[in-house]
Amino acid sequence: MHKKKPEIRLVLLGILAFFAVFLAAPLGVLLITSLKSANGIDFANYITVLQDKSVVKAIGNSVNISAVAALITTVLAFILAYTVNFTQTANSLKSLIRLGIVVPMLLPSITYGFAIIYSFGKQGLLTKLYGVELFQIYGFQGLLVGYVIYTLPFAFFLLNNSFSYIDKKYLIVSELMGDGFWRSFTNTTVRPLIGTIGGAFVVSFILSFTDFGIPASVGGNYNMIATELYQVMLGAIPDFPNGSVIAMLMLLPAFAGVCFLNYLERFNFAYDTISTTGLPDNKLRDLIFGGASVLLVIAVLAVFLVMFIAPFVKNYPYDMQFSTEFVQNALFNRAMVSVYENSIFVAVAAAVAGTIIAYCAALVNVRSAITKRERIIIDMTAMIANTVPGMVLGLAFLMFFNDSELKGTFLILIISNIVHFFTTPYLMAKNCLSKLNPAWETTGELMGDTWIKTVLRVIVPNSLATIVDMFGYFFINSMVTISAIIFLVTARTALVTSKIKELQHFASFNEIFVLSILIFVTNLVVRLGCDFANKQLSSGTNR
Amino acid sequence: MAVKPVLELKNIRKQFAGKVVLDGIDLEIQKGELVSMLGTSGSGKTTLLNIILGLTSIDSGSIFFEGVDISRTSMKERGFNIVFQDYALFPNLNAYKNIIYGLQNRQNWSGKEEIDELIDFLELREHLDKKIHQLSGGQKQRVALARTLVTKPKILLLDEPLSALDGVIKETIKERIKAITKRYNLTTIIVTHDPEEALTMSDKVMILDQGVVSQYGTPEQVINQPRNGFIEEFILRQLRIKRDNIYGLFQECHA
Repeated sequence: MHKKKPEIRLVLLGILAFFAVFLAAPLGVLLITSLKSANGIDFANYITVLQDKSVVKAIGNSVNISAVAALITTVLAFILAYTVNFTQTANSLKSLIRLGIVVPMLLPSITYGFAIIYSFGKQGLLTKLYGVELFQIYGFQGLLVGYVIYTLPFAFFLLNNSFSYIDKKYLIVSELMGDGFWRSFTNTTVRPLIGTIGGAFVVSFILSFTDFGIPASVGGNYNMIATELYQVMLGAIPDFPNGSVIAMLMLLPAFAGVCFLNYLERFNFAYDTISTTGLPDNKLRDLIFGGASVLLVIAVLAVFLVMFIAPFVKNYPYDMQFSTEFVQNALFNRAMVSVYENSIFVAVAAAVAGTIIAYCAALVNVRSAITKRERIIIDMTAMIANTVPGMVLGLAFLMFFNDSELKGTFLILIISNIVHFFTTPYLMAKNCLSKLNPAWETTGELMGDTWIKTVLRVIVPNSLATIVDMFGYFFINSMVTISAIIFLVTARTALVTSKIKELQHFASFNEIFVLSILIFVTNLVVRLGCDFANKQLSSGTNR
Repeated sequence: MAVKPVLELKNIRKQFAGKVVLDGIDLEIQKGELVSMLGTSGSGKTTLLNIILGLTSIDSGSIFFEGVDISRTSMKERGFNIVFQDYALFPNLNAYKNIIYGLQNRQNWSGKEEIDELIDFLELREHLDKKIHQLSGGQKQRVALARTLVTKPKILLLDEPLSALDGVIKETIKERIKAITKRYNLTTIIVTHDPEEALTMSDKVMILDQGVVSQYGTPEQVINQPRNGFIEEFILRQLRIKRDNIYGLFQECHA
């Protein structure tokens, strides 16, 4: 721990000022707007909104579908994580599961909907393979499929992480004690994971509840709270009072969910040691879980298959001759290229600036002698940033910066992304920095360094791998988000995801898929680039 | 014996969150002396080390270096240096770059010949290009010592210098640390929890117990005139058992 240094105070103040202006103030304005009516401060707006049958129905629909989707997702994610961690399925299949499940994360959620339409619609690819329409795509079932695909990777990674902290020795002990499969399963697997299982459910629920892309694409006439908010705000005259009320109603369940997540933390087991013993043999277990998981991943990937086919044929699904006409049209179309450039610019800027801000916040928090209260403030800020749904943040920005220079700029999009995706990279940095030797700053200082100098010469070089991952996280998420930017884009600052939403009106699905492929390929390149960079780093140094 | 002490602590007090950690510590150290601060965990020895280094502030009392009050002088300006228990080497730099780390900030700390001599004295020549993780525990410690000695510390502090080392090389390292302090006439303070270590390698031993000095004297004084039951019970008794075990091992007679 180190004496308070002016440069540390400066970094701390900078971070707190950033979040005061770009998180606290906009949310404050949102809250006040929702409470301000002709008679002063009261709940008149809330009463008006809640008397509107369609809004109440939309909230009900959102809660309903999100809960069902979260339940299905949790079960499926558990099966996947169990297969990867607790079965002797072939390693190549485990890799397939781990990599395949990431694919949807590289795409905007609005694309999922269009992929579902093209896969399961009357003329859909999978419909043709099956010969019958599997389900009604618009409305409940389509939304459900979309949400499950969307939330599955998040739930999987949560569970996968917790699985790796379970001491496998207990499986052997349980087997030696003569437990049958179910007793062993509940005692050594389900029990230690119960907190994370609950967490996976809550995270899936929040993600579905606050997502805009999926209902925007397959919602049809089935109203959800996200689409309701969009309609209220993007009508001929944006309805700020009612919009802010709906945003608050969207924020509350998300807030409750995050609080519940923190509560669930205490159910997590902490084993003293993690031993990596082998697993007991059980061929039937391996076959059932391995088979189910592989089928599941293939099913998810199959939904996206169509978007790689449709734009490459003459007239899907009627004329299936190979053609690059759509791709060429899209890639030589100035308007399309420019939204792509915009997206890249925003994602790179958000990734660079976001990584710096999150890294500094973590650095100040875990490696300097700030007061306990200041530490809590930074952590609370991160938690709140994590709680606020993208659309709510975007709307709050729209209200707070409506009359400012920031309105309609790229900068506001970049900042919105930084705030919206701040928490995960911040926690990554915190985790990494807290593990580095606490005496390095003192040593550097004794060697004549200033604090900044030690940070640049020692701390940063020893946390490069994490910095690369933070960059990748910010970049990929900024590329795929629609909810955080939909209220903030203008014709000049349009991004790929908002362009997709626009193309929907013209039913230009081929262009939509070409743009989605562009995002996908870009994200894939960045992800692989980050992995490659980290591989180089770890072979170059000691870790 | 003594002329003017090089380092003098007067009535040092320190508490953390209401708990008294150091309660009126007085200490005098002469130029070139090797002094051990011996105590169990919670005795306050690491806090005292950090106070001398300048990392931790004191609540009351004063610290004098060569007669000058340095109680409020910053860590950097005191010009002392420390080798941490885990060495705190920088893994992104190789052994040599660790050793010359400080020279980027102050080139006049050590000249080329001095560094060469130091490297040879610590037998590090063949390890200079190695990454930190390729070094053994003893090599790491020598690199950390070299890195610190390059800055010509006015006082050298060593935090548990032997605890992270394999048993077999401990005796060799003890000799080397003694040799370094003699060669550079370095005033050296060692923190340790091991009585054998403290009593066999230092000129003087300060025994700390619950924030107060239990005894301060030469190893002979501690052995022959233990000042209280704590020293008799927890230090001498352990050492006697150890001695008897080793004698027994070599099958020598003992009285």
